[in-house]
This record gives sequence, structure tokens and C-alpha cells, in this order.
Amino acid sequence: MTLAYVPGDSLAHRLDPRTKLLVQIGFAAAAYAHTTPRELAALTLLAGGCLWAADGDLADLWTYRVAFPVLLLAPLVAGATIESPWFRLDRAAETALASYRVLLLLVVAAAYVRSTPIRDSRAALQRTVPGRAGAFLGAGVALVFRFLPLLRRDLLAAREAVCARGGGQLPARERMRLIAIAGTNRAFGRADRLGTALAARCFAWNPTLPRLSFGPADYLALALGAGLFAVAATAAL
Amino acid sequence: MSTRTESVDLVGDEAATNLARAALFAALVGAFAYVTFPNPVSPVSVTLQVLGVFLAGIYLGPVWGPAALSLYLVAGALGAPVFEGGSAGVGQLVGQSAGYLWSYPLAASVVGAVVHRGTTLRDPASVGVATLVAAMVLGIVAVYALGVAGLMLVLSLGPIEAVTVGAVAFLPAEALKVAAAVGIVRSDAITAA
Repeated sequence: MTLAYVPGDSLAHRLDPRTKLLVQIGFAAAAYAHTTPRELAALTLLAGGCLWAADGDLADLWTYRVAFPVLLLAPLVAGATIESPWFRLDRAAETALASYRVLLLLVVAAAYVRSTPIRDSRAALQRTVPGRAGAFLGAGVALVFRFLPLLRRDLLAAREAVCARGGGQLPARERMRLIAIAGTNRAFGRADRLGTALAARCFAWNPTLPRLSFGPADYLALALGAGLFAVAATAAL
Repeated sequence: MSTRTESVDLVGDEAATNLARAALFAALVGAFAYVTFPNPVSPVSVTLQVLGVFLAGIYLGPVWGPAALSLYLVAGALGAPVFEGGSAGVGQLVGQSAGYLWSYPLAASVVGAVVHRGTTLRDPASVGVATLVAAMVLGIVAVYALGVAGLMLVLSLGPIEAVTVGAVAFLPAEALKVAAAVGIVRSDAITAA
């Protein structure tokens, strides 16, 4: 299962994407500044609240499963020593808390992804980053969302074609080469057709973006984000 | 009803094509995250993302290559399922894989700068094998140096522990990707470049 935007009417869905991005960054700052078990427990409640506000549940975290082995292995490796006492609990506990902190960051990120459509994310990006850099990022991000499924399908087709021709017997290096050639050629072909089509249809640096506006709930959430930054700053003092 | 008029600031043909190529390459690196191969030395399988980073540097050059990888990071942060295992979100850019992900634009610029020796692109097929391999080895150094540093910072690990967790199982597979990339470039099979 892939984590993706799910249409809805939850509190997080109604918030401005810029607010949600600020809360995420504030949360990360606070999580890196405060790492005692008690502080992480408070942040756990907040992270759970974020996911709940986006109508999400723990199943959304399954998308991050590839990160779990590293997060579980890291405390064991950190605690292990090559001489007596062989395992240091204090080092393992320190890294275990750090691993848990990463998990909390993923929970908050999942809440954003669940509750924010790409059009709004693009508008937030383009209104926050000024000038042509913002326009480049906005248009580029929209195109990545649009073309990712097509290129995934291209690569899958290439992989099946390689297998059908007995490619399973080839060394891994050769299979990688064949699949990457097919994918890169398809990507360049699509890019050049797209570039021509964009130019033909008056692709502009100043497109019409959906309206974004801060509502009352946004001001509360912005205050939460600013509060998280303040909490992070207190640890630095 | 009022009518609003605004002048339209058109994007030039060349810039439009470059933007399309950067975006498509970013999507390609994302699609490579779904292609897994068995790892010769570890049960953890490897994906082709780093090969995508090499190819971005080689075919897009030291300017548009990093631009493509920057788009990849921003799109992933905003929810495109382009990171390892089809994951997404800002959490990945500040989590345990932060060092690896942030190194991609740098690695693409290093590979591009060595292969093209400047910002003017030249035909990659005319570049010697030694230059290609050297460029990608430098790219790998950038990826793993930042990746391991990221693990040390994020998970409070020592240098040897971070290398154990984040590099030992994956480095041998990078040699396969370098060999595959050399094969791609030397076989002159990329038609649109």
C-alpha cells in the first residue's frame, strides 16, 4: 500500500498547506532538540494528534516499512561492543530514542501527505519560493506527480520483456543495463514530446494557481508551529 | 463582472525542454526506487536510484542533473511516492535516510562536472571509460559520505556503527551500478540524448 492523498473533510484537510509544512518543520526541530523519554512521549501525543486530525491511522505507516529494519538494527549495532561488556545498554537506549524520534517524524509527514492534494502543495511551493525558481519547482513537481506512474509502467514493461526473453539468466549488471536503457529512452522520449507540447501551448512562468488562504484554524496551527520552534530554541539556550 | 488581464511571461522553447527533461528524470529516479535487484552480499535488496543519479549527471550535466534531483527531493517531500519503497513526505528528508537523499543533487553535479568538464555538455559516448568510472566513484563517495554522516547525526551512531548499518551491505552493489552505467553510455543506446 502506498501512502497518498485521500480526499476528505478532516481538520488537516481544511488547513492551508503552508501551515502544515511549518508545523512539520517545527516538529522536526523540536524532536531533534528534545530527546528525553518524557519529551518524546509529549511529541508522540502531538504526532498522533496530527495523524488523527488527518483521518489517518497506523496502517499509513506501512509505506515506511523499508525504513524499519534500519531503525531496529541501529540500537543493536550502537550497543554492541567488541570487548567486555559486549553490549552497552546506555548507548543502545540513546540510539533507540533517536530511532523512535525518526518514527515520529514519519508519522507527522504521513499526516501531511494524506491530507494535501498536489495542486495545493504546488501552489504553496510556488507562493513561498519567489520568482522563476518557484515556478520551476512548482511546474516540475506537478510533472513528477503526473509522469511517475507512466515511467513506473514503462519500467515494469521493460522488466517483463527482459524476463520473457530469458533475461533471468543474465547477470544482474546486464539486467540493470537493459532496464535502465529502456527507462531512460522512454523518459527522454516523453520529455522531448512534453517540451514541444509545453512550448506550443504557451507554457508560462506565471500560471494561474488555485487560491490559498489562511482560515481561523490555520492561525491556531501556525501558533502551534511557532510554539514548536520556540520549544526547540529553548533547548539551544 | 470585472475582467482581469495579466501579461503572460512565456517560457522559452529550450527552457521548456530542459524543464521537461529535469522533471522526467526526477520521475525516472522515483520509478527506479521500485525496481529491486537481489544484493550479492546481503539479504537487503538494492534499488536503482543511485544509477538514476549517475545517469542524471551524465546525460543532463552538472546544472540540470542536480536540478532534476532537487525536483525529486521536493516532489517526494510533498507526497510523490518516489523515495525508497514508494514512501514520501518531509519525514524522509529529516529522518535516517536524510544524508543519502540530500547527497543526490551533489552527487549528480559531481558526476556531471567530471564527465563534461564544465557546464557545456559533450557527447557522453565520447568520454573515456576511466573518466566515467572516476566520475561515478566520486559520486558514490559523495552519496556514502553524506549518507553515513546523516546516520551518525540522526541516529546518534559512531562512525564505525554508521558504516556498519548504512554502507557495508550496499557498497558492493554500487559496483554493479557503475558497470551498468558504463555499459549504457558506451553502447550508445540512449537515442534521445
